[in-house]
Amino acid sequence: MFNRGLSLDQAPPISVVLRFFLSVPIFGVLFSFLLIVYPTDILIPNHPTSLSAIHLFFLGIISMSMIGSLFQMQSVLGGKPIPSPLGNSLIIHTFFSVGLIALASAFLFHLLAAFVIAAVLLGSSLIYLVQLILPLLFGGVTHDTLRGMRLALLSLLLTAVFGAVMASSFANESFGTLHEAVRTAHYSLALAGWIGALIIAVAFQVVEMFYVTTAYGNWYKRNVFRTIALSLILKIVWLFLALPYIWVFDLFLAAVLLGFVVTTVIRLRARKRRVSDVSIGFWYAGMGLLFVSLISHIVYLYTASALCETTALLSFGLFSLSIILGMMAKIVPFLVWFHLSSQGYLQTPIMSNIIPAKQNKRLFVLFAISSLLALISFLTPILLSLSGIGFFAMFALLAYNLIAAVRLYRHTQTTSPRMSMDFSSQS
Amino acid sequence: MILLDTRGLEHPVPLGMAFSAFTKLQGREILHMIHTKEPLPLFELVAKNGGHHYSYQDDEGVWHILVTRDTSLDLESCRV
Repeated sequence: MFNRGLSLDQAPPISVVLRFFLSVPIFGVLFSFLLIVYPTDILIPNHPTSLSAIHLFFLGIISMSMIGSLFQMQSVLGGKPIPSPLGNSLIIHTFFSVGLIALASAFLFHLLAAFVIAAVLLGSSLIYLVQLILPLLFGGVTHDTLRGMRLALLSLLLTAVFGAVMASSFANESFGTLHEAVRTAHYSLALAGWIGALIIAVAFQVVEMFYVTTAYGNWYKRNVFRTIALSLILKIVWLFLALPYIWVFDLFLAAVLLGFVVTTVIRLRARKRRVSDVSIGFWYAGMGLLFVSLISHIVYLYTASALCETTALLSFGLFSLSIILGMMAKIVPFLVWFHLSSQGYLQTPIMSNIIPAKQNKRLFVLFAISSLLALISFLTPILLSLSGIGFFAMFALLAYNLIAAVRLYRHTQTTSPRMSMDFSSQS
Repeated sequence: MILLDTRGLEHPVPLGMAFSAFTKLQGREILHMIHTKEPLPLFELVAKNGGHHYSYQDDEGVWHILVTRDTSLDLESCRV
């Protein structure tokens, strides 16, 4: 079989993806700074400082990484490259970053005009992203990962729309009767639809490939995105009509995510090649944190305990961070190696030397300590400050690792000889 | 023909091994890679570095990838 429609220029330039990845530690440091300075405020749900930290985390760290990955994944998994990736990624990244800084500042310093700037820039960057990528996911080969990516992008679109509505409410300091419904729809779509669905969709591809496990079951793959989509749609309808028993949809969402935890852990434990790889630690930690999050949320549904609500959100965020750090540990060295190899450099560094294993182990230790401190910070806010110091060190190390990889890429480009393309004379 | 069986190895090890073997090919030598997936990124690397490939899946679902640096070779006729 030949290329099956494969474009030979599918992968976007490395700068497209790295632009997003390199921004992650910057927003990570800002987020850590808030944890260090305002631990008490952050532990109060819906406090402006807490909302600022939440958006720095979920947009600046989690979504920033996921958007960067989407630029790479779409071309490889979707089969249709994103047009003008350099220009489009620059537009999206700039609007997204400035919009996020405006939003975080608006919450933190009570800058009402900044909410308008955030709504325009964040809203337009995310809507532009969705209209750029989503049409490319239709009309070609379809598989479960593509279905998950479609759901994630549609959820992101609606999250952005609800977010813009709320930003305008904050700007006017006028909250309508549907504000609580809009807020719940906003975070439900963001957490389960955007982050949850995309991580599951990617896991279907990478867990089997990176760790040589058995494939996820067809029944689960076929039904997981349908269940998430249907639960979210019905939950939003129930929210806006103020109907009873809305918690049922959260139970459905929790069930499919618990299924993801169980099936992933079973596969990782039964993997065929037990090579030492710290990225597996990130996957196990992620699954453990997702489990804690789901149990806390289920308890919250029945007790309305603020502690359970905070723990559920915190551990969900840490779950997504854990998976993203584990993925970056694999993807960044691969991208550096792949792009140097495709340019024909003969002295391309081997992947395990681009970000050494010991650096990833340090990253994992810092992540584990900081996460643990954050999870027990209900005991005393000082623990959240200590957690912030740990995350500060972790994001500084992440920045160091990423910059070292970029420097190695540039160094190879300037020093390595390139492969001869004159093969006809050899034959 | 140089045989490279990468079944059971975790991504991206097979890609690294195959591309390294490709860069060492001489004249009309052919690399025969056996793998559980179709290594699409390898095809991009091979094409960008002046080689070409032919791939097919056997009855057991195993992928066979033939790669050479000599673009005048008809790899389909070299199927094993």
